[in-house]
Amino acid sequence: MKRLTALLAAAAMAVSLVGSALTVSASEGKTDLVIAMEVDIDTLHPSDYSTAVEHNILNQIYDTLIYMNLDGNHDPEPRLAESYEISEDGLDYTFHLRDDATFHDGTPVTAEDVKFSLELYMDSAYQGSKVTGLSSVEATDDHTVVCHLDNPYSPFLLGVSQVYIASKAYYESAGDDFVNAPVGSGPYKFVSRTSGSNVILEAYEDYYRGAPSIKDVTFEVIPDQATQAIALQTGEVNFANIDSSTLAQLQANDTITIAEVQNSSFTYVSMNLEKAPFDDVRVRQAINYAINRENLVSVCYDGEAEVNSNICSKDRFGYSEDQPQYTYDPEKAEELLAEAGIETPYDLGELLVAEQYSNIAAVIQSDLAAVGLNVTIGVQEFNSYIGNLTSGNYGITVLEMTLDGDSQMLEMAYGTEYIGTANNARYSDEEMDALFDEAQLETDQDARAEIFNEILTKAQEEAIYAVICNPLTLYAYNADLNCPEFPFEGLYSVYDFSW
Amino acid sequence: MYKYVLKRLLYMIPVVLGVAFLVFVILSLTPGDPGSIILGITADPEDIAALNAEFGYDQPFLIRFINYIGDIVLHFDLGTSYQSRQPVINDIIARFPNTLVLAVLSMAAASIIGISLGIISAVRQYSVLDHTCVVVAMIFASIPGFWLGLMLLLLFSLKLGWLPSYGAGSLKHFILPTITVCMSSAASLLRLTRSAMLETIRQEYIRTARAKGASQKRIIWKHALRNAMLPVVTTLGTSFGASLGGAIIAETVFAMPGMGTLITTAIRQKDIPVVMGATLFLAVLFSLIILIVDILYAFIDPRIKAKYQNGGKSRE
Repeated sequence: MKRLTALLAAAAMAVSLVGSALTVSASEGKTDLVIAMEVDIDTLHPSDYSTAVEHNILNQIYDTLIYMNLDGNHDPEPRLAESYEISEDGLDYTFHLRDDATFHDGTPVTAEDVKFSLELYMDSAYQGSKVTGLSSVEATDDHTVVCHLDNPYSPFLLGVSQVYIASKAYYESAGDDFVNAPVGSGPYKFVSRTSGSNVILEAYEDYYRGAPSIKDVTFEVIPDQATQAIALQTGEVNFANIDSSTLAQLQANDTITIAEVQNSSFTYVSMNLEKAPFDDVRVRQAINYAINRENLVSVCYDGEAEVNSNICSKDRFGYSEDQPQYTYDPEKAEELLAEAGIETPYDLGELLVAEQYSNIAAVIQSDLAAVGLNVTIGVQEFNSYIGNLTSGNYGITVLEMTLDGDSQMLEMAYGTEYIGTANNARYSDEEMDALFDEAQLETDQDARAEIFNEILTKAQEEAIYAVICNPLTLYAYNADLNCPEFPFEGLYSVYDFSW
Repeated sequence: MYKYVLKRLLYMIPVVLGVAFLVFVILSLTPGDPGSIILGITADPEDIAALNAEFGYDQPFLIRFINYIGDIVLHFDLGTSYQSRQPVINDIIARFPNTLVLAVLSMAAASIIGISLGIISAVRQYSVLDHTCVVVAMIFASIPGFWLGLMLLLLFSLKLGWLPSYGAGSLKHFILPTITVCMSSAASLLRLTRSAMLETIRQEYIRTARAKGASQKRIIWKHALRNAMLPVVTTLGTSFGASLGGAIIAETVFAMPGMGTLITTAIRQKDIPVVMGATLFLAVLFSLIILIVDILYAFIDPRIKAKYQNGGKSRE
């Protein structure tokens, strides 16, 4: 009897050992990956997409001519185009395609497909800005494409590096399937999509850079952050873009790795320069000095944002330490207000915000009150808020914005022609407009950086906005998953991941 | 009887039209236009205007409404989503089964738990069991659904690892959402059944039944329950409708692709065709359920059945 018990105990131990051995090696030899997405996708159209989630999925299915880190500070890498030249006058961009790239249906990627895709972008209201400046495309032979520009436009290369190349023949034959069952030339093939539920991809074994190490990729819709965090911990999900609400819980778990990724979005106070007292530069500077950015980042972002009073992120092309930074200095703020003839306490009126920014507004309100500027917080539903913001029907506000792409996009915050869209300060200055025009024509990187230095220094000196910080993109993933350093903006390629 | 059903079906037309008009008005009163919501704040105003024109959103309100209803009546077409450019009916077909399964499972669970415990509580009034049921019911009636859902997730998915935390693939996926949705309706059904039963048991005819020597079992099942069930069945009908909508919370917490998440996402994106299509679909369904409940009355209560038949006859 005793022997039997001992035997049973030994068997039980063996089983549990095998069991634990299995769990330890569970991720070895694992070839599938489950990625959580916060919202369902609406489309997989290569040029008519609008959300970050759609962009991330398309990025696995479709390939581009060249790859560029979106910070604008790195040299391009070859993808479908093995090389490219820019003509002396900056008007012609010639791309030489590699001859071994194929679409998922086995047909080769030709110059005609590239021409077709670029034209698709030119006609797109959604992503047309990626090919700004392009006037026509010519396929000179099967493997050569020439892009003609009417005027030199230096941001063109970074824009065109984001154009997904689709198959012209598939477009002509597939009808709705062009969108619903996309065929690209990227490392992953589309398998299926279930509305509201998931998108399934599988490795394209004939990918010209070699077959991917992860074979099956599923994007699962999980709208609730708390559920996402639980699914990450149970291992049902391996990779997710999280927000700071579940960060502490996930950081405490050693099976999860967190990556903080820089991006171009910024949190800022916008003041309507058409209204007093915001037309006075001293008042705007005072507001810049009055805000305790470190405190705001720890209160509203759980520390997951980089303090920066410059509209240009620190890793982005054009940023320099030489450009002035505003730091917390309430005494200086009070001095500036006195100089401007503002008698405190002064009523600044309404601080208008959209619902999701009301906590940031509360922090700003108390910072401003500390230097004698009183605001009342007015909260509106997002769409009506945006209406008031773009039409200038506000005095002071705080919000988050993303002007991604080439640093030229910052023009949308300052250019006269963007009053009514993203130039919320309603700032209009001929010199500033001229500087941006110059930046878009300049093809020499150093000279261009110098122009941006002038632009950003001017923007800081005039305190056109009171920029607070750059919120970080947070990725949480299984600690056994190897992910190389994420590029600026965090657009990832599952091809680079491995178990 | 069938005349009554037909009449009720015809009544549904103005009801559904009214719902359609109301939802359409509310959606039109909300700020923002689909073009600028899709393309974002940095978009060119011309592109936004072009997109709105493509959707027909530049037309006046009444014209849009008449076109919309016209498409449904003449072509059985619920329209195309602004966001996905796909027919709205595809989304409904893909998601409705999940919501229906969740609603049916929750209602079944809620009725079984609520009605049976309610009867026991009433029959053994003031017993320990009765007190426990009433207190537990109070607790579950006041727990918010999203919190209960998260707690269940933490326990059964994260700590115990028994059940999946999200999705809708198998019956296993429905267990936690069903508990989340059914608990509060089970609690209110329990309280309702209990009080209805208590009231019925005190009626004169029950005393008569006792006096003539009927067994306790027979009194409860044959005499009391049928009468006590009338208010309960009414609640069942409306709470089935509510659980179709109440599934929204469970669908969000458990990442289940259903009608609730479809509508909430569409409202945020101002995807009018999707909101309209899904709401109308639910409105028709809800009207049908109420009709079925009304017909059920006839089987439970002979007095009502007689009324239907008289109503039919008097018009002949």
